[in-house]
Amino acid sequence: MKVDTASEPSPLAATGLTRTYRGGKGVFDITLKLAAGEVMGLMGPNGSGKTTLLRMLATAATPTGGHIAWFGNANPHDPSVRRRLGVMLDQPAHFDKMTGYQNAWFFAHQFGLPDQLARDRLDELFRWSGLWDAREQVVDEYSLGMKRKLTLVEALVHRPSILLLDEPTLALDYRAELDLIERLQLLSLTGTAVVLATNDVHLAERLCDYVIFLHDGRLIREGHVPQLLTEVAGSKEVQLQVNSPIALESLRALAAVEAANVEGDTVHIILARGANPAQVLAVLNGTADMVSNMRVRRPNLGDVFLKLTGVALPAAHR
Amino acid sequence: MMVAGTIWQRELVEFAQRRRALVIKLAFPLVFGIPLVIAAPPVYAAITLTMLIAIIGALGAGAVLTRERQSGLTLRYRTLPVTPGRLLIERLSIGALIDFLQVTPVLLLIAVRHPSQFAWWPALVLSVAAVLLIGNLMGAVASTLSDSPGEVMLYVFITLLPLLFLSGVFTSLTEPALLAVSRLLPFTYLHEALVGALGGQPNLLAWETLLGGFGFLVGAAGLTGRLGRRVLESD
Repeated sequence: MKVDTASEPSPLAATGLTRTYRGGKGVFDITLKLAAGEVMGLMGPNGSGKTTLLRMLATAATPTGGHIAWFGNANPHDPSVRRRLGVMLDQPAHFDKMTGYQNAWFFAHQFGLPDQLARDRLDELFRWSGLWDAREQVVDEYSLGMKRKLTLVEALVHRPSILLLDEPTLALDYRAELDLIERLQLLSLTGTAVVLATNDVHLAERLCDYVIFLHDGRLIREGHVPQLLTEVAGSKEVQLQVNSPIALESLRALAAVEAANVEGDTVHIILARGANPAQVLAVLNGTADMVSNMRVRRPNLGDVFLKLTGVALPAAHR
Repeated sequence: MMVAGTIWQRELVEFAQRRRALVIKLAFPLVFGIPLVIAAPPVYAAITLTMLIAIIGALGAGAVLTRERQSGLTLRYRTLPVTPGRLLIERLSIGALIDFLQVTPVLLLIAVRHPSQFAWWPALVLSVAAVLLIGNLMGAVASTLSDSPGEVMLYVFITLLPLLFLSGVFTSLTEPALLAVSRLLPFTYLHEALVGALGGQPNLLAWETLLGGFGFLVGAAGLTGRLGRRVLESD
């Protein structure tokens, strides 16, 4: 059961949020609202604007247009706003010549934690994250995964009301990923609002209540996860690993194919409800030696994105 | 294990932990300072030491802040519940303090070598502090102009050299207009204080130099607070 925080204004509300860069790239006219305890996923391929949007929501970047309010307060420089945010940016930046514990202690104190509380929480979080044995090691010697875990520890230590996490599972091992999911589910139940920028469809399906799809800096679709998944319910995704290029147009011309795209050496095909994967193979008749592997599976959020845009989300997270 | 909860404590802890850098940083001014203070005529010693002190402040801050911008630390600062002005004041004042420690052996050497010039010591201490803080601020502003530490150093030098010239560091200024300009620059007061403390013939009186150094120190602190957002939150 989620905590009742109805008396407070929405943790996060953004209207017409825009940030443009030279060359025309950026994020354009995004409107979103996050409730207490809600987990929102920002999904899209690389360069779609997830990181820019998350940075604006985290007060790390200034919008060139639009408006954001955190608990009704629209001043991003107000320390009382920032004290309620826990942020994990894409770059796990630290003071490299200091130890992991020294780094975390510094950030804990910046958020106003007294010594004893900081010590207790850091001890618990270092144990939870698996960094306990490396706590006195300088961050320069940490692996990327360890640096990202340390950033998570620093984002969680002051128990923020809103967590903003950019690719939180990137470079984490499977065990750490499961621990993180469990922790985020628990935090959500106790009222923490969470925004995740991620391409990890399994993470998004497991954790997110609501998902926003971004493409070329624009919001192209949003909705609750079950609602989005109904759009591809009954259809199938066929993944073909190919040895050499195949004619996508002939595949797309099939009535049974809703969307098809290539990413690396893999062709992703969304088949319409009731369609038989053999129809795809029939088109490739005579070129079967090109296909080294074929996989049919139930569709996921990545397939919804593929169907909407014709662009596949990065393979590592599918 | 030393821990640091504030920005200035963190700077000190990191500085203390980098032992090799610490030794080099403290030994470097002495390499120049010892022969200058012992053997060089006051006017040449004052020129070189003024340049050295101005450069120490500006290059150090410029290089560190450029590196932090590249690594993503500056972005993280923006998410901290601290105003950018306060953050920059803490960072640069502790940077200037560490730089001050770095030049302290040279200042002590001047005092030991020229004890009769004690009237210039307060002016020297204040003007060194002012120039170090202003140098740190110049480096911080320069760090927002480029992602390359080399380019940032170039911007620092391009700005510093004409300012040092206009301060009458390289040559005596006789034009009334240039003299008036020189009074508006902090390097003038440092140079004059050094000439005085080294037993030379300064153009200003000790109390005038003291006042100038104090004014620039206060002004630099105020300006640092105002430039916080410009330096730490510019993209």
